[in-house]
Amino acid sequence: MKWPLIAYFLIGTVVIVIAGALAIPFVYESQTLWYKLGSDKTVLRAGQLVGLLALASLLIQILLGARGSLLQETFGVVALMAWHKANGILLCCLAVLHVVLVLVPEGLANLPLGTKNWPEMVGGVLLLVIFSQAISSLFRQQIGFIYKQWRTVHRTLGYVALCLAAVHVLFVADSFAQGVPRRALLAILVTVFVVVLAVKFAPFMGKLRDKR
Amino acid sequence: MKRLSVVSLALLYVIVGVQPVLAAVRSWEMDKAHSNFYFEVEHIYSKIRGQFNEYTGEVRFDPNNLAESKFLFKIETASVDTKIAKRDKHLQSADFFDAGKYPQMTFESTKITATGNGVYEVLGKFTVKGEEYQLRLPLKFSGVKDHPAVKGKEVVGFNGKVTIDRLAYKVGGGKFFDLGVVGKDVEIFVSIEALAEK
Repeated sequence: MKWPLIAYFLIGTVVIVIAGALAIPFVYESQTLWYKLGSDKTVLRAGQLVGLLALASLLIQILLGARGSLLQETFGVVALMAWHKANGILLCCLAVLHVVLVLVPEGLANLPLGTKNWPEMVGGVLLLVIFSQAISSLFRQQIGFIYKQWRTVHRTLGYVALCLAAVHVLFVADSFAQGVPRRALLAILVTVFVVVLAVKFAPFMGKLRDKR
Repeated sequence: MKRLSVVSLALLYVIVGVQPVLAAVRSWEMDKAHSNFYFEVEHIYSKIRGQFNEYTGEVRFDPNNLAESKFLFKIETASVDTKIAKRDKHLQSADFFDAGKYPQMTFESTKITATGNGVYEVLGKFTVKGEEYQLRLPLKFSGVKDHPAVKGKEVVGFNGKVTIDRLAYKVGGGKFFDLGVVGKDVEIFVSIEALAEK
């Protein structure tokens, strides 16, 4: 398969963003990491890295799902749908792995429950949303979900997941409390939001132009 | 009929016999909004303060009947509060209180002695992480008076401070102390207000 130059630019951008995200737990180490020693520290840092990969995967998933004309023309609808499916499964696995890795160092008998730990609870809801998205998509026919209804729910929950992820990451980790990571994440979230809005409103704008 | 009389007499004996003891030592209900178990511990150079938000207490006190007086406190270790949720979670972990495995710390007095100037030395069993230790808790009896805000009730007050070595109670294995991060001496400040009907 021969891709146009723009494809390499898009893939390169994604790779750079992911590499930058993976540097955060090292460059902007959270205070939670300060107080973990030995294997606990390694496991927690691995959990944070996996969490950031899951966030990147979620952002990619939203963009793949939105299927903007640039992506369609560059990669084709079939490839985008296949990647959307594969990335969804990957996202679900990363989310589960993230939860396990960040909870183990603190002890599984010491789960961050209750209003005091609300950012972690938001993460818990996010995990449920991601998990239900994956299951309902993979087994839609077996469950007996009508396609149109499923698509509406799937899209809505996709955007809900993005909002939950933004809140979870911005408030759960002090690495994102201020500075470059916070500003970079907000910039990426706004970019994705604008891209999705542009894709969704493009047909209406086209109709408006035609009427004029 | 004869058996009934014997039972009635026995019951009467129990009631009459026990009554003077119950009347002698008043039972006080802890005012949880105005009582607490505070602590302070060193973190490198600074002092970190915290408290336990969930606990129950039993206060029976009469300065003239110390033998029948009693203090019993049950503190929920998961309710530790230092105003930073992540630090609290760390304190609840196996690195410190191991709250999942040991949800409660208890203190039950075994002997109360007056040491003068309104101070009472309360000797008791202090159970931490499933192990029992002897602890002397000096409590300053602040007095008893009509509650200024609650009609028909009296209020009693106690305040006390004790410093303990947390490592002696296995609250932490010593790794954070060895690193020079968290001190081993913990100052505990007990402040109690308890209410009873007049």
